[in-house]
Amino acid sequence: MTALRQRWKLRFLAQTLVWLGAGVLVAVALWWSEFDLAALARSGPRFSEFFARLVPPDWSVTQLVLQSTLETLMIAIGGTALAVIFALPLGFLAAANVSPGWLSQAIKLFLGLIRSIPLIVIAILFVVAVGLGPFPGALAIAFHSIGMLGKFYAEEFETAEKGIVNAVRGTGATWSQTLRWGLFPQCVPQVVAFSVYRLEMNFRDAAVLGLVGAGGIGYYIQLYVRGFQYEKVAVLLLVIIVVVTLLDQLTYWVRRWVR
Amino acid sequence: MTELDPSEAVIELLEVHQLFGQVLALDVESLIIHRGEKVFLLGHSGSGKTTLSRLLKGRLQPSTGTVRVLGQDPASRDPARQRSIQRRVAMIDQEFFLVPRMSVMGNVLTGCLGRVRPWRSLVGWYPQAEWKKAAEILEEVGLDALGHRRVETLSGGQRQRAAIARALMQEADIVVADEPTSSLDPELAEDVLELLVDCVSRRGVTLMVNFHQPELAKGFASRFIGLADGRVVYDGPPDGFKEEHSERVYRSARQDHLTLAASGMREN
Repeated sequence: MTALRQRWKLRFLAQTLVWLGAGVLVAVALWWSEFDLAALARSGPRFSEFFARLVPPDWSVTQLVLQSTLETLMIAIGGTALAVIFALPLGFLAAANVSPGWLSQAIKLFLGLIRSIPLIVIAILFVVAVGLGPFPGALAIAFHSIGMLGKFYAEEFETAEKGIVNAVRGTGATWSQTLRWGLFPQCVPQVVAFSVYRLEMNFRDAAVLGLVGAGGIGYYIQLYVRGFQYEKVAVLLLVIIVVVTLLDQLTYWVRRWVR
Repeated sequence: MTELDPSEAVIELLEVHQLFGQVLALDVESLIIHRGEKVFLLGHSGSGKTTLSRLLKGRLQPSTGTVRVLGQDPASRDPARQRSIQRRVAMIDQEFFLVPRMSVMGNVLTGCLGRVRPWRSLVGWYPQAEWKKAAEILEEVGLDALGHRRVETLSGGQRQRAAIARALMQEADIVVADEPTSSLDPELAEDVLELLVDCVSRRGVTLMVNFHQPELAKGFASRFIGLADGRVVYDGPPDGFKEEHSERVYRSARQDHLTLAASGMREN
């Protein structure tokens, strides 16, 4: 009884300390980012002005916006496809139940490094390397996605039922055949789900790539927003919202279909 | 398939001692199994049955002694040699280990991976002859109407038949089945056992079954091997397996249960 009560007290104390610590951290963060409620309260009229100027939308830019949105979509699709092609073998090599420990650890470290470089930095590098346009954008999207996809694939492969893999190996299959017919079929739904989710993310990421000259709709976002041409921004927002919603539905249906 | 030669030894164990830490899991002086024999290994869990089948599949290296399967070392480090042995010993696991998401046909076709060109099999483009073979085997095990169905939608008995079909597709010289009826209803168990033995007999293949029920096995086996605590306590025709042998095979299990029960009582 007393021992239990003692432990309970200690736990209570520890929990209180953790919550206090978290509270202090959040307070410091708000102060550091110059959080100003008064400024937010004063901003009401400006917001309403912004929204008021969105209507009526300037439909003259529709064709231009649709074209550049399509380019952004293609950057996302091409980049994601390229990333999947590279991430699958890397995922196999990074899975602890497929590769020897040292190799798996090394690949996971490499994937982590890729993930830690911000997309915008990679995009600028590729623009400098191959010139302006959608091509460096697709390359940047691909490179950036490999880090996450490779990690997710590897973690999914690691959950595969070992007995099934062994059973397929037991038919006299080679290493690659065993992966193809013993391990991979178990993981297909998750691999597909991660990939289409990444495609969705990549469209949103690709929308800002134009800010650094890497193609797509980003260029016009910058042009219209900075030029206070809110009637054109309205068309931009509308098209982006429609495409993102459609992509969201598409990934939902693909995930339902592949099980 | 190779010419049937009943005198040919397909499995040889010589002075095999398998240790797991301090525990002697298997202790066999000499065990020879010939082509076409239908051997039923009897013994309670922990008697060494599973250890023996893992040795045959090369999933274990014996602590001491030699294991020869079809004249070769199943635990060979050479990948090509290991694959050829894997191919010639088909294993039907207790839990089947089929890919649940894949169709019955897809699972059965994996049985031919050992003889199909890797680049063809990687894209799933199996030769016409293999498709034909797989379809015939599905008919043989009574699953011809379910070839398109995913394994996860099958009943336990149907899954067991699919696992048998995959093993037959392998065209192995030896089929090892680990407690093939343990997850089935009694009436279903006899059907499945009969199917397994019939299919294997038709091909003249050596069969080794890990089993629990000597009475049920008597109609199907050509030889009984009783194991207790890793040692062979009976080796002979099923007819010679009498009450006293059953006692010896299952005695230590009963003792285990008694000691467990006794220790359980003490704790309370």
